[in-house]
Amino acid sequence: MNQYIELFQNHRELIEGHSLPLQNSLRETAAKAFSRLGFPSKRVERYKYTDVPAVFAPEYGVKLDEPVKNQQIPDSVARRYGTLADVEGDAVTALNTMLSQELTVIHIPAGEHRQQPIRLTRQLHSTVPLMQNRRLLVVVEDGAEVSLLMSDQADEEQDFLTTQVTEIFVGKGASVEVYDIERTNAHCHRFHQLYADVSEGGRFLHTSFTLTCGLTRNTTNVRLSGKGANAELLGAAIIDGQQHCDNNTLIEHISPGCTSNELYKYVADEHAIGAFAGRVLVHKDAQQTESHETNSNLLCTPWARIYTQPILEIYADDVQCSHGSTVGQMNDAALFYMQQRGLGADEARLLLKQAFTAEVLQRIPFEPLRDWLRNLSNLRFQGDLNHCRTCQLCGKS
Amino acid sequence: MLEIKNLHATIGGKEILKGINLTVKPGEIHALMGLNGAGKSTLSYVLAGHPAYTVTEGSVTYHGKDLLAMSPDQRAHEGIFLSFQQPVEIPGVMMYNFMRAAINAKRKASGQEPIGATEFRTLMQEKRKLVGLDSHLANRGVNEGFSGGERKRNEIFQMAMLEPTLAILDETDSGLDVDALRIVAEGFNRLRQADTSAIVITHYQRLLDYIRPDIVHILIDGRIVKTGGPELASEIEERGFDWIKESL
Repeated sequence: MNQYIELFQNHRELIEGHSLPLQNSLRETAAKAFSRLGFPSKRVERYKYTDVPAVFAPEYGVKLDEPVKNQQIPDSVARRYGTLADVEGDAVTALNTMLSQELTVIHIPAGEHRQQPIRLTRQLHSTVPLMQNRRLLVVVEDGAEVSLLMSDQADEEQDFLTTQVTEIFVGKGASVEVYDIERTNAHCHRFHQLYADVSEGGRFLHTSFTLTCGLTRNTTNVRLSGKGANAELLGAAIIDGQQHCDNNTLIEHISPGCTSNELYKYVADEHAIGAFAGRVLVHKDAQQTESHETNSNLLCTPWARIYTQPILEIYADDVQCSHGSTVGQMNDAALFYMQQRGLGADEARLLLKQAFTAEVLQRIPFEPLRDWLRNLSNLRFQGDLNHCRTCQLCGKS
Repeated sequence: MLEIKNLHATIGGKEILKGINLTVKPGEIHALMGLNGAGKSTLSYVLAGHPAYTVTEGSVTYHGKDLLAMSPDQRAHEGIFLSFQQPVEIPGVMMYNFMRAAINAKRKASGQEPIGATEFRTLMQEKRKLVGLDSHLANRGVNEGFSGGERKRNEIFQMAMLEPTLAILDETDSGLDVDALRIVAEGFNRLRQADTSAIVITHYQRLLDYIRPDIVHILIDGRIVKTGGPELASEIEERGFDWIKESL
């Protein structure tokens, strides 16, 4: 971890000179927190499935002199920077806050309805091993509606380490949908820490789709802070080879009458490792909470591994909550049935995998996105993701 | 067409089939009757290529080819269809996609082009009507949430789509009320081509009132012990199986 503290201390002027002032205001606090916390070992419960120190150990280049995008950010928005992210308690978030220069701010004024999703596509490209620390601040005012489509892709040749901290404020009665699609490769190491706060009557949908990855750790923390707020967390991970995908979620029911629904599904093939830890925390005052959480996993080989840990903590007495997880293998009876009808063994397995993730896709309300993701996951299962022929959204042909 | 010679098969080391001899000619319907555990379903699974069963002795040829050397899907391409006694539920795999994949796999095996979307939809509509399944069928998961009767009708529907040359009906009558039985059996009869053969496995005469067999076999303890005409099935209905056992 010292290499990162030295980087900050030795190049602080350069870093701050190529950043917006609002980011610089928190660097000192973040640096102190990071020095104090250090990278979490596997003994830290929230990181027990991912070896964080090992991921951050190699040397990566960092570009510190990128030009700053000039943005007009209203004070009311800028004020929120760093207030939701766990800068003091989470080492990766602290590291990102200390180093990040690339900031994207999305502000949707009250009552504005955006029909088309805002796209944030990133294509990682570098001639040397590269680290990127990205930051996203999203403020959606009362009654506004927006959806964000984030897509991470990377060139094959280089090693990448990325951290991203996303803060999302969902105003009263506002609606925010976030689609986070990863289609990187075995050379990529990715940490995405997302923090969302949902005000009274607000609605937040988060969909995480890991189509391909190297090592991925997604932390998704949602606070239902206003009465009657709703959160839906959807996730799918299709992993094979030596891929590692760790999703860690926390949904906090703080106010009464909030609802949350969570569904994560993994298909783990070959030697892949998947981890899911989903914690739902119902605070004392959060009466009439309704929360349901499911994690289902399909293991395609005897070598693939899944760690699953649904956690439900309830301090209120009038609640309706459920949580559960399953880990299963390919259904042999179904495979034989399909083969008896003439399908080859590979095709039968393919259909079963597609069917398994279909449940997540079906819950995506925005139809063009649902079709696009269905197409991408089908191609992924066929090992043909980089040759997308039929869709226009991803821009490949 | 189908020639089974001295077939022995085991599951988990236990011998179930102990020397089956059976020849089915084009267009013939054979009924296979016997008590539970006699090996009727085992025979159907072995013919379809279920991986849990091991053939330890004997041979099966189909249209002169070695059936036992083929994978289950190759057997299907050769025209063998098994109507399962308990059709499995495959949640999330839509009937439309499933049937289209099945038809195209068969076409591919015989060097034909894949079926067009319109042609396929028309075919599916025509065949589902034969067994009284409604238009929601296409978008339902395979047997997902189907009642017992619907599952059996769905088997016959799939048979209609795939047009096999040998259909094996494994207790298609079990779990069906009289009306459902009639729909399923009439569906089967309408679909039959002149050279389509069938092996109908059943406990009861009931199904054979609708699907008239040419030849009836009695299977006891892994062997065919008696073969006769349709009157043999009626005799079983009246007298049970004990008299056959005693005469052995």
